[in-house]
Amino acid sequence: MTNRRESGTWGRLRARPGAVVAAAVLAALALLALAAPLLAALEGQDPTTYHDDLIDSARGGVPLGPYGGVSGAHWLGVEPGTGRDLFARLLYGARISLLVALGATVLQVVIGVGVGLAAGLGGRFADTVLSRLTDVLVALPMLVCGVALTSVVPADFPRPLLLVVVIGLLNWGGTSRVVRAQTLSLKKLDHVAAARLGGSGPWRVARRELLPALAAPVITYAALLVPTNIVVEASLSFLGIGVKPPTSSWGQMLSTATTWFRADPLYVLLPAAFLFVTVLALTVLGDAVRAALDPRERSRLRVGTPGGRRLRRERSAAA
Amino acid sequence: MTGYVLRKLGGALLVLFLLSVVVYLLFYVAPGDPARLACGPRCDAGQIRQVRDQLGLDESLVAQYLHFLQAIGTGRDFSTGTGVLHCPAPCFGLSYQNGQPVTTLLGDRLPVTASLACGAMVLWLLLGVGTGLLSALRRGGPAERVLTVLTLTGTATPVFVTGLLLLMLFCASLQWLPFPSYVPLTEDPEQWAWNLLLPWTALALLESAKYARLTRSATLETLAEDHIRTFRAYGLRERAVVGRHALRGALPPVIALNAIDLGTMFGGAMLTETLFGLPGLGQLLVHSVRTVDLPVVVGTVLGIGAAVVVASAVADVLYALADRRVTLT
Amino acid sequence: MAEPVPSSHPSRTATRAAAAVVAAVLAGGAAACGPKDAGAGGTGAAPAEGGTLTVLNSEPQTNFDPARLYTSGGGKVPTLVFRTLTTRNRADGAAGTKVVPDLATDTGRPSKGATVWTYTLKDGLKFEDGTPITSADVKYGIERSFAPELSGGAPYLRDWLVGGDTYEGPYKDTGKGGLRSIETPDDKTLVFHLRKPEGEFPLLATQTQFAPVPRAKDTGTKYEQHPVSSGPYKVVSNTGDGEHLVLERNPHWSRRTDDQRHAYPDTIDVKSGLDPAVINQRLSTGSGADAAAVTTDTNLGPAELAQIAADPELKKRVGTGHFGYTNYLAFNPKVKPFDDPKVRAALAYAVNRQSVVNAAGGSSLAEPATTFLPNQKSFGYAPDDPFPAGPTGNPQKARQLLEEAGYAHGLTITLTHSTAKDFATSPDVATAVQESLKKAGITVKLAGLEDNAYKDKVHSVTDEPGLFLGGWGADWPSGGPFLAPIFDGRQIVKDAYNFNHAQLDDPAVNHEIDEINKLTDLTAAAKRWGALDRTLGRRALSVPLFHPVYKRLYGKDVKNVVISDWDGVLDISQVSVK
Repeated sequence: MTNRRESGTWGRLRARPGAVVAAAVLAALALLALAAPLLAALEGQDPTTYHDDLIDSARGGVPLGPYGGVSGAHWLGVEPGTGRDLFARLLYGARISLLVALGATVLQVVIGVGVGLAAGLGGRFADTVLSRLTDVLVALPMLVCGVALTSVVPADFPRPLLLVVVIGLLNWGGTSRVVRAQTLSLKKLDHVAAARLGGSGPWRVARRELLPALAAPVITYAALLVPTNIVVEASLSFLGIGVKPPTSSWGQMLSTATTWFRADPLYVLLPAAFLFVTVLALTVLGDAVRAALDPRERSRLRVGTPGGRRLRRERSAAA
Repeated sequence: MTGYVLRKLGGALLVLFLLSVVVYLLFYVAPGDPARLACGPRCDAGQIRQVRDQLGLDESLVAQYLHFLQAIGTGRDFSTGTGVLHCPAPCFGLSYQNGQPVTTLLGDRLPVTASLACGAMVLWLLLGVGTGLLSALRRGGPAERVLTVLTLTGTATPVFVTGLLLLMLFCASLQWLPFPSYVPLTEDPEQWAWNLLLPWTALALLESAKYARLTRSATLETLAEDHIRTFRAYGLRERAVVGRHALRGALPPVIALNAIDLGTMFGGAMLTETLFGLPGLGQLLVHSVRTVDLPVVVGTVLGIGAAVVVASAVADVLYALADRRVTLT
Repeated sequence: MAEPVPSSHPSRTATRAAAAVVAAVLAGGAAACGPKDAGAGGTGAAPAEGGTLTVLNSEPQTNFDPARLYTSGGGKVPTLVFRTLTTRNRADGAAGTKVVPDLATDTGRPSKGATVWTYTLKDGLKFEDGTPITSADVKYGIERSFAPELSGGAPYLRDWLVGGDTYEGPYKDTGKGGLRSIETPDDKTLVFHLRKPEGEFPLLATQTQFAPVPRAKDTGTKYEQHPVSSGPYKVVSNTGDGEHLVLERNPHWSRRTDDQRHAYPDTIDVKSGLDPAVINQRLSTGSGADAAAVTTDTNLGPAELAQIAADPELKKRVGTGHFGYTNYLAFNPKVKPFDDPKVRAALAYAVNRQSVVNAAGGSSLAEPATTFLPNQKSFGYAPDDPFPAGPTGNPQKARQLLEEAGYAHGLTITLTHSTAKDFATSPDVATAVQESLKKAGITVKLAGLEDNAYKDKVHSVTDEPGLFLGGWGADWPSGGPFLAPIFDGRQIVKDAYNFNHAQLDDPAVNHEIDEINKLTDLTAAAKRWGALDRTLGRRALSVPLFHPVYKRLYGKDVKNVVISDWDGVLDISQVSVK
């Protein structure tokens, strides 16, 4: 049963060209990030060396030459004010940004789904307590926590990990609310109600009836949490708990680049474009996974409604 | 119903209480001494001690907190040096930095943030849900593609980038709109809207993608459900199917998420407020955190907390309404 | 100390985080996209009275009490409302660093070896309600600055006046006739008694604590909502806690008694809480009221300069200002390895000031510094470089010194800096230093602290790190307030902020500071300050990095632009919009 289901999902996923392209793009991004030192070496640059001779100091440090100083030596130009190589900074930045954003997203989804399910399935008391807890968390501005955290966390604590924890622990309110709302409405659906009446415990109901049905909104939402987290990471650097200089990240690059979008448009466009491609790929993939998992179908199958079986037959025929 | 309201109210008070405790505790560990900041950089130890006395910071944290709670209930009198400043209940204290009553500061700024958040919400719901429906129903059309790319770009771009681009385009280059400055709704509704249009747009672009994707996904799910298929089979008009039934499936997650976003917007729109020069709660919060101005921070966070609680209560009610209709069909 | 805008001296300007955030992020995109009308900008056409001057600022006037403001108010809004015993000369450049009489008939008459200073008020001085300004009002203004409710001003009155260290202001001490070291023998005369000779007292008398406050109108902490004007404008409305101020002419101010403030516009409309990038964008676009607008607290950023360099019309509307300010690497010689002068000298040789200047915005916004004193004549500056290494540093020489100090195989040190995005102590400057020391085999670990934590740490005698990014601004353009707090051993502060980062307590240095303070001839004093700075420079207690330069953009209808070197602010008391 398990195997058949897996292969069915995979098969449907593989059959969607968009999904394949999106997955390939994401894999390529991950590969670029992993191979950053190698690729930078290939270019002959590194992300931290200053090149004062490549910028015009009197004009605010704008890169000399067209397109932000693009040349054979600096494939994507150099950073205004420092002359650091943008190609290298972009690739090294991908490591931090992708790691932090994905890590935080996983944390947010795990906590959010857990709390949301518990609030939706638990009794009125559990719901009240958990919902109010979420309210407290949502109302507590990250700025206030961030400032306090800086004085508690030791300076040599690994920064990317700290970012994952901070963003992950403080920003799961949205996920939990969406999950709670879906749970409340799913609870009333026939098959879930039947399972509950049939004596399944809440944990079993959650695992077998609800989680599959929640996959759709959660995956859809999580795909967009990734860019949000990258942007949050950028703003956290202002609180002193972002990436430490001279480390680069897309968020850090975007925030320093904003001012330059007239004087040196490429500087802004590069991180923005990378971020956009990531978002687009994640969205397409998330959509495809959502459709491929097709939760209703599976849960129906188990409860044994004829509708589910019929639906499945039609779908496979269409695919 | 009364029980429901009472339960909500109790929950709300609990949230506000917890928030105030958490903020007090966070300030205990946060760096910076409010007395030193109020006193100026060149004060000596004696002067700092005087200012600390003056601000009541010589008391223990617990005593300070109890005074804070007491002032909310009964109000409090403060010395201005030459006279007495009465801060009526509910009194959240005076700013450490400039002696203004926190309630005055909040009262000045709440309308600004409320205007910003509510207007932006309308816009992101229109843009988000609209795009979501469009992309669920007419897949692959040019309008759908443009809107989808627009919302995704918005999500992937920090608000300070989007905002500055909008300012450059509409206020500087084309000069279609004034550089925003807050005009109260009660003073001139038309100017209020014109001045807030760009901040609203910047926030809506940031938030709408989530709604678009959620709406799309939920609508597709609903459309595939049995009863909808049955309605279609019975020959119900497409518009009726979508309007009456499919959209309803999208409502729960959209309502739930909207409550969260609206709530956070009260405290989280600081970058937008700063960029557009809107004197709202976010700006106040940033400034007071920087200057370790505890009464103002507590007041602001409680204001945000109240907004979050109200938003989530309203969402619960809306959700119950939407839900009942779903079960009815 | 650390600030994005120089205008109000050390640190008090609690920078709004987000303002700084967006400032650093966005200070960009000023460009010529507004309609380019041919209106005569700048100082070309003759200034005339009338019209409304708009002031677009990032910092709101949250504190508008003369007791609480840190500096003279420079060319900013307070200068329009508060007149002081003396004031700075309203002139461009170096001429603007001179002190001139304001309420008083002269800059002060010293006696008893400059321990007693006497002032006489001009005739016909009036408050905005028409009551005459008396010496008692000036005395009361100074007295209330001692009240803990109204703290925030500079420490000089406390340190200099006899009994200043124990006086607690007029609210606590109501019966005793106030601060006895300020005598008011009649309505026109003030006599100040100082603990020791202070030749620079006339410069102190420019600060807003020397503005008259009528006792009957004093409302304590509420006074700032409507301070009583002695200047050419009065506050008509103050909304949003200083976010929006409207000033109109004070009919009781007379041009006859005030040759410093021109007061051309009829109305001053101050809008603050704006993002710096937006301020510059509005000034360059200049639509509507923004055409007659200036800013007193916002600089052009590097990206904006890059943009403006390409636009001749905008280029004409940029004024340049200087403020006595130095950014430097500060050593605490009590922490190893900085106890070794050779290590400190090695850092001085190794640092690449070109990189540092670029990190601070490039050569238009920062000038490389090799002296601790700002590079202005009024400070006694003369070109000097005790560790000459050229603009990009001399890593070889540094390596050699390190070898002599026993660090032949390199050295690892920690540099403490603030994470606030102002360019004095920011991560950008820290990174540039880190990168440039790498070439001399010095590995720098960066310790970025939240701004308050940073200030608490670097100004604590016990917690002070061995090496940090520091900055120091002048309370007035002279070597006195610049060198004494940093190098006078008696100014090591134990339980509050300490600025003597090297914790230097050298009797010879202390003695020389006392000797210079006796001089009432400020030119002679400046020479001695310069010489003292050169002596101190050789001890490598700090590595001067750069002096900031200010670029101020103004609206296209703005005339008579004056930017003095006192504080580099575009002086709004001089501006005309007609």
